Amino acid sequence: MNFYLFIDLVVASLVTGGIYAVVALGLNLQYGLMRIMNIAHGEFLMLGAYLTYTLVKVTGMSPLWFIPPMMVALFLLGLLLHRLIFRRLAATSPNAEVMEARSLIVGFGLMFIAQNAAQLIWGGGMSGQPYLDEAVKFGEVTVAANRLLVLAVAAAASLALVLLLKKTLLGKAVRGMLQAPLGAMLVGIDTRKLHPACFGLGLALAGLAGGLLSMVYELTPSMGEPYTISALIVITLGGLGNIPGAIAGAVLLGLVETFGTYYTSPSLKILISYSVLVLVLLLRPKGLFTK
Amino acid sequence: MKQGALFLIAAALLAALPALDSPFVLSMALTCLMYAGLAVSWSMFSGPTGYLSLASSAFFGLGAYCTAWGLSYLPWPVVVMAGGLAATLFAFLIGLVVLRLRGAYFAVITYGLGELVKHTITHVEKTYAGTVGRVMTDTPSSNVVYWTVLIIALLAVVTYVRFGRSRYGHALRGIGMDEERAATLGVNPMRVKLLGFCLSAWFAGALGAAMAVRWTYIDPHTVFNPFIVFQTVLISMVGGPLTIGGPLVGALVFSLLSEFLRLSLPYLYMILLGVLLIVSVLYLPNGIAGHDWRGTWQKIFKRSKAADAVTEQRHE
Repeated sequence: MNFYLFIDLVVASLVTGGIYAVVALGLNLQYGLMRIMNIAHGEFLMLGAYLTYTLVKVTGMSPLWFIPPMMVALFLLGLLLHRLIFRRLAATSPNAEVMEARSLIVGFGLMFIAQNAAQLIWGGGMSGQPYLDEAVKFGEVTVAANRLLVLAVAAAASLALVLLLKKTLLGKAVRGMLQAPLGAMLVGIDTRKLHPACFGLGLALAGLAGGLLSMVYELTPSMGEPYTISALIVITLGGLGNIPGAIAGAVLLGLVETFGTYYTSPSLKILISYSVLVLVLLLRPKGLFTK
Repeated sequence: MKQGALFLIAAALLAALPALDSPFVLSMALTCLMYAGLAVSWSMFSGPTGYLSLASSAFFGLGAYCTAWGLSYLPWPVVVMAGGLAATLFAFLIGLVVLRLRGAYFAVITYGLGELVKHTITHVEKTYAGTVGRVMTDTPSSNVVYWTVLIIALLAVVTYVRFGRSRYGHALRGIGMDEERAATLGVNPMRVKLLGFCLSAWFAGALGAAMAVRWTYIDPHTVFNPFIVFQTVLISMVGGPLTIGGPLVGALVFSLLSEFLRLSLPYLYMILLGVLLIVSVLYLPNGIAGHDWRGTWQKIFKRSKAADAVTEQRHE
């Protein structure tokens, strides 16, 4: 294989993997902490993409300006959804399995609502708002500037989340809840405040990924679905509630998809992702990095 | 006995429906029966065990593809039977491994396997047949299709009741309550679950095989549509997965709703479905048929009296 082609594919894998990491970290927090199997996670990515797109189109400013306020809006939406739906769901579910199954159904409901609302508001497919569409050359390797930007922001966001969890007291509380939900409550961690906040954070991260994608790809109301599946694969690869594992899983999935489709055909991308999911669930249901 | 008589009368009335000679009524009844059959077959396994299976689309699609491949060579009843058997075989093969998983993982993997089958068939058809879809020729008349679907749906209802009362049905419910306890009491969980899963798959596959000829042209995206399983789960959950009346009432309501709203206001219809799904999970976890309506009624209208009584007591 040509060396430059190899570098091209690696960069493409990293860009895909970076987006997957941001999406999966949010889902991992929601699932790991609250057993919310949020199958509508990708829908919030779609909402983030459409919101960013609309604001850019109206104002003509750079999308980077709108990503932070859009994330705040999705965070608030997350608090609202948690208050309206998931709090009651957690209170009325007798055990974690029932909670998972019922949150999955709720997730499908949210998916129907979000996708069709987007269809009503924005209509069908839309060409994205290409931003920074010029090529950057590193010697012989050319990369689109916007993809590099996506990679940089995604990596920064993932790193920031890891640091938040590792270095701050808040992060310690969240890690405590991940390891031992009951124990965390016993030592005085206020789950009633932290659960909605983490759910909202998940939505904000999905929105961030959507905002980044709106600079590169076309927008459709169902654009989020493949990312939900990818996020599920990533958290299965990385292990439940395992944040560094999820990042490693995201990069790994990016590599498998990019190289897999290069050697076979692009139409097999979904087939490859699902095969990875099914294989991992069957062979290592606790994740690749567990001992 | 009374229920048996009611069932026979309903079956006879439904069987006589083509005599009305109204294509509209027949087509609506067909959709309704299809979803009733799917919902009952789904409830057969997922109701008592609590295993949330999202494989119905895969079973349905496999059945439909059996028809697409075999209709020109085989007689109609054989095609429908084969469609069901293909789904059963698939359920058996995946059941051996996926039935070890529980909770959301089980749901996700059954959904993932369905998508995997869809994309595999798309790829195989593209590579070897050169097309994605298939045109159906020599299809049976719409009355024959209707009676076939009716028979499968009635069979599903009978099987649901008989299976639920058999020792396997009791064992499945035991697994749903506490799998380890059931195993301790001498139930072989894997065998019983596999039996229930395969049985429920047969009906979904046979329905897919029978319904395939309704569309003169099928492709993987129509017959493996995840919407089929969503609507099925919704009907069972909203109706009540632990009762036989639940899925039937649910199927009737949703077929009517979808017939009138889906064509005129497709997006709004889907939004409404989403809202209903969430509301039913939150407030009617046992479905319409399984809900304690008397309790709710008393809660709403007698709470004031109870509260008064408490205040009076305090004053005394």
